Formats: sequence, C-alpha cells, structure tokens
Amino acid sequence: MRRLIYIFLMLVVGCFLATGIVACSNDNCMGNSNGIPLAAFYEGNNAVTLPSLTVYGIGAPNDSAIIRNSSASQVYLPLRITATTCEYVLDYNGTEIDNDTLTLNYDIIPYFESRECGAMYNFDIKSWEFTCHAIDSVAIPDTRITNADVVTIKIFMQ
Amino acid sequence: MTLKKLYLLAIAMMVAVLLMPLGAQEQQRKVTPVKPSTNKVLTPPKGTDEKTIERYLTGDTTSLRAQEIKDSLARIYPHYPALTEMWLGVNFADGLLKVFGQKYASFDFHATFNMWNRLQPVVVAGLGVAKDTPDDMNFTYRGKLSPYFKLGANYNFLYKKEPQYQLYAGVRLGFSTFKYDITDATVQNPYWGEANDNFELKGNSGNALWGEMLVGLKVGIASNWALGWEAKFHGMFKEKKSDHGMPWFIPGFGTRGGKWAFGLSLYYTIPMNRDRWPAKDEEKKKLR
Repeated sequence: MRRLIYIFLMLVVGCFLATGIVACSNDNCMGNSNGIPLAAFYEGNNAVTLPSLTVYGIGAPNDSAIIRNSSASQVYLPLRITATTCEYVLDYNGTEIDNDTLTLNYDIIPYFESRECGAMYNFDIKSWEFTCHAIDSVAIPDTRITNADVVTIKIFMQ
Repeated sequence: MTLKKLYLLAIAMMVAVLLMPLGAQEQQRKVTPVKPSTNKVLTPPKGTDEKTIERYLTGDTTSLRAQEIKDSLARIYPHYPALTEMWLGVNFADGLLKVFGQKYASFDFHATFNMWNRLQPVVVAGLGVAKDTPDDMNFTYRGKLSPYFKLGANYNFLYKKEPQYQLYAGVRLGFSTFKYDITDATVQNPYWGEANDNFELKGNSGNALWGEMLVGLKVGIASNWALGWEAKFHGMFKEKKSDHGMPWFIPGFGTRGGKWAFGLSLYYTIPMNRDRWPAKDEEKKKLR
C-alpha cells in the first residue's frame, strides 16, 4: 500500500514538473528578424532630431525612401544581401544644405540567431565614407551588425 | 592606637573565631536529608525479546545496556555496505515528450553506484537528436545524432529507509560534442527588393560543457525494477563559439536558453553485498 502511494505521488509530481518545464520555454524573439544597422544623429555628445529628413538608398526599387520628410533622431539603414556596398542619401528638406551621402562597405555573414529569431544575415562593416555638407563625422563603434535593436552608427552633425 | 584598644581588638577577633563553627553547625542543621537509592531495579525496555530478558535476569545488565544502545543507533543510522547496489537506468522522458510533439530528444543510459545508501556516483552516456521546421519561421534545424556524457553524484535523503525508496539531490557535469545543419533558410529584404534569398549552414560543429543541479525520486515497482523522475536546473559553463551562430539544441542539455529539464527513468537494480545490509524490521521480528 505504501509503495502504491509512493508511486502515485511520483507520477503526479513528475507529470506536474514535466508540464511546467515544457510550458516554461521562452518563445519570443527580442531582436529584429535580420541584422540591420540603426543610425542615430548627434550634435557633440547630445542626440538630436532632424526636423525634416528624407533617407533613401541609391538603387532602391521605385526610388522608395526609408523615411520621407519626417523628423527623425534615428533611422534604420537596411543593407543589401546581394551586394557588399550600400549607398544612402540624406536629404535635409527645407534647408539650403546639400544632400549628404553615406556609403557602407561590408561582408555578409549568414547567421543562425535562435529558434525564436530564425536564420538571418549579419554584417561586418569593413569601411565607410560620407560627404560633409551637414555631417561632421561618422562613428561605428562595433562593426558587427546584428539583429540587436541598438544604435550601431553614430552620425555627428556639424 | 593605645595598648588598651589593641587588647580589646584581639579579644573581639578571638570571640569571632570561636563562634564560626557554631554558625556552620546551624547551617548543617538546615540541610534536608536525602534518602540514598539502595534498591534500584534495572528493567529492560518494552518489547525486549525473551533471550535478552533472560540475560537481564542473570544480572548481566551492563553489557545488555551497551548492546541496546548499539541496536538503537543501528535503527537510527542503519549501516549499509560501501557498495550497497548498482542501478542501470534508461532515461525515456524525451522519447515520451517526442510522442507529444517535442522536436528534439536525448536518450541516455546511466549507471549509479549506491554507496552506504547515501552517496551515489553516477555515470551517464547518451545520444541526442533534433529536427525542427518551426511554423512561421524561415529555416529547418537538423541536429545530427551526437553523443553526450555526464558525471556526477546524488545524495539520498532517505538513507535510513530501504534503498528501493530514494529521494535525492545531485549534481552533474555534462559534455557533448555535436554537429548540426541549418537548411532552407530564407531571408527577405523588402526595401531592396531582395526577397527569398536562400542560404544553408551545413556541417556546423559545436561542443559544450555544462552543469546541472537536480532533485529526484526513485521508487521500486516490482522485484528489481524501479521508476524515477528528476527535475534538473542547468547552466552552461563553456561553449564553442561560431561566426555563424549558436546551436539551438545541445544533446543531453536540451534547448538553448532553457533553464529546466526533466528526466524519467526506468531502473534495473543489482543488489551487492546483500548479506551485509541491515535487517528489515519484518526480518528482525522473524528472527525473534
């Protein structure tokens, strides 16, 4: 009789634990679904918002813009996955300042992030160039671009 | 001080010295006399068998008392031999969960040496495999059949009970070396119009070293057979890093990011040094 009670308790607790452990699995992706750089604008050490900004990639289909005539302090700059160079135009609408261009040269790295986030491309930025109409400098502290939702490109304005 | 005063002081001291024994006698008179125990009979405890009672009657009480203390300690701390028994077990929890849709599984065989019915060194060897194409995701993950090993020990809290009942806590050190493929990966890049770019990551290899803390329960079900479960909390110590990502499944550990695992095992018990096991209560009664 005592043995039966032990076995019953064992099965009940075991089932409870198994159910709990299976239910506890985390199934949320905390980052983006692909590696993508996030550029932020600064004046000195302070983040700034540009009042009317248009950003588009040179060669993007249908001349589509990433943002158009919008105020922005940050902007995602999606990279091409069939080429290793991307060129972007920053148009400061409503000002007399000429457009700036930012060029990124990079390597493409196929990457498996996790079951929740999936397979994606990461990028290693090899070099970058820019014009200096409104831009003072560009810094990329960590050249590995992943799906993490963090600022990876710092654009310092004049 | 005058001579007269010195005489008076000397007389007073002499009187005080002479009166001190009288005071002590007054105190002795106040002590309550105690009747010494001269007729104490040493009686055996209830339930003592007849042979022991006979020995009591012969007056051999000192050695009997010593024997009783020894027996009493043996009941409280039953002394099992260093090699009490060995269990051979198979963990089939993942096999069971796979039937209910789990996409990975680790199967292992383990050998446990039950020492003094308390300390239990454990050796585990197993194989793990995984295959998953998650809904609404962009890849297929194939974890190839790969080995893993674990070393560790349990401490049995029910060491006073018969070995067929075990409630234990334990630690394990696990190691696995494995291979995996990512196939059918599709990446969409709508801004640049580069939808459905495919890639594969084949022949990835990895290794991992991890630790586990666990609690478990084992119950004899019939003859030498037993069932048991284990709830494990685990964490990674060291892992091979890759430029192309981290494995989702690690054989023997489970899925990345999971902190808990569950084991369900069937055991076959091989008793050892059976003649040196403490007698069960029923056996003792029969002997009497």
